[in-house]
Amino acid sequence: MSTREHQPDCPRHVDVAPYVLGALEQQELESFREHLAECPHCRLELAELQSVVDELAASTPLVAAPSELSERVLQTVRSSADLLNAAGQEADRPSRFARGQRTRGFAFAGAAALVAAVAIVLAIVLGGGSSSPKERVILGQASGAAQGAQVSLHKRGGHAELLLTHMPQPGAGRIYEVWLVRGKAPSPTDALFGVSSAGSSAVDIPGTVQGVKQVLVTSEPLGGSSAPTRNPVIAVALG
Amino acid sequence: MGLVARNDAEAFEVILERHANAAFSLAYRICGTRSAAEDVAQEAFLALWRSGTHYDRARGSVRTWALGIVHNRAVDSLRRSGAHDRRRVSDEGIEETLEAPERTDAQAIEHATSHEIRRALAELPDDQRRVIELAYFGGFTHVEIAQMLDTPVGTVKGRMRLGLQKLRSQMRGTEALGA
Repeated sequence: MSTREHQPDCPRHVDVAPYVLGALEQQELESFREHLAECPHCRLELAELQSVVDELAASTPLVAAPSELSERVLQTVRSSADLLNAAGQEADRPSRFARGQRTRGFAFAGAAALVAAVAIVLAIVLGGGSSSPKERVILGQASGAAQGAQVSLHKRGGHAELLLTHMPQPGAGRIYEVWLVRGKAPSPTDALFGVSSAGSSAVDIPGTVQGVKQVLVTSEPLGGSSAPTRNPVIAVALG
Repeated sequence: MGLVARNDAEAFEVILERHANAAFSLAYRICGTRSAAEDVAQEAFLALWRSGTHYDRARGSVRTWALGIVHNRAVDSLRRSGAHDRRRVSDEGIEETLEAPERTDAQAIEHATSHEIRRALAELPDDQRRVIELAYFGGFTHVEIAQMLDTPVGTVKGRMRLGLQKLRSQMRGTEALGA
């Protein structure tokens, strides 16, 4: 069946092309994904158009990647492989907590402490030159609505970046906010972010993370909040 | 990818070697600068390493999966930087710095295929090609494109769909001719 044949069957078929090109608005994504789960016509069209977009990705003129790129990636990969292999397969898997057991209805402070207790910390030294500071890659924990997400915080000196994959959308009218915990109460940051249609995001942590015990992420109303209104879905313990 | 999922760095090195140029090229096309493209490609490969266990062979090749991650991260990077006055890097503006003798046979086939796709894209009506390029390589949403082109949102969506369908027809025609 071609796309033209099933065009009239669903009024939302017009959203398939912008969806597959990554061009739907954030607030449209959730509802369209829900629609896709129920609509075989749109799923068929998605499969057809996705193959075209996959080819588009490979259509760019070939430019040689800098050799330093592969070297840097491989240094990190080899270091983490050594550490993960030494720690065993369980080290790289979500904890029971992150898989959804005992995740509902916990208090903010308790949740953060529990998450911190099971956080896995890897210190990976990048040999990117004698003058460059060492990078620590710290794996965090996802819980609640973000169960299954993969979290790592890349800390170099006082600067840190949070990398997230497989994150759910924050929801209509909401945005993710990063919090820093130095004492008891989390402090808000200017780091408000959404995630891509594939659920990934890379977030620069504003300012320095020196003295920070935990980095937390919550879903907040657009514009952010001055105090968390929901339990954290991401926690990274800096120990 | 099974080896990568088992933390085999050597297996990952093969994947990196195989796809680094394509990943960097796509990131460069979207980000417009080598430094941003390098950051995006690095993030993408590390994400790919970390998420190897989530690779689903049924949903496409490793290359497709890797380039999908690169695309998402490059668009994220553009949107985070607020660079919607972003510089565009045209196909004509990029030197093909990977010389033919350096290419493996597989890369040469992919290179030829990418030429075919670019040609098919160039043969689309301007209004259809433009909305596809603005969305996929520019990281703009259909609403932003509609505002930019002073065109109704429905028209933009329609052009995207028609353009992709025509590309698909042309690609299938090429495959049939090559078979």
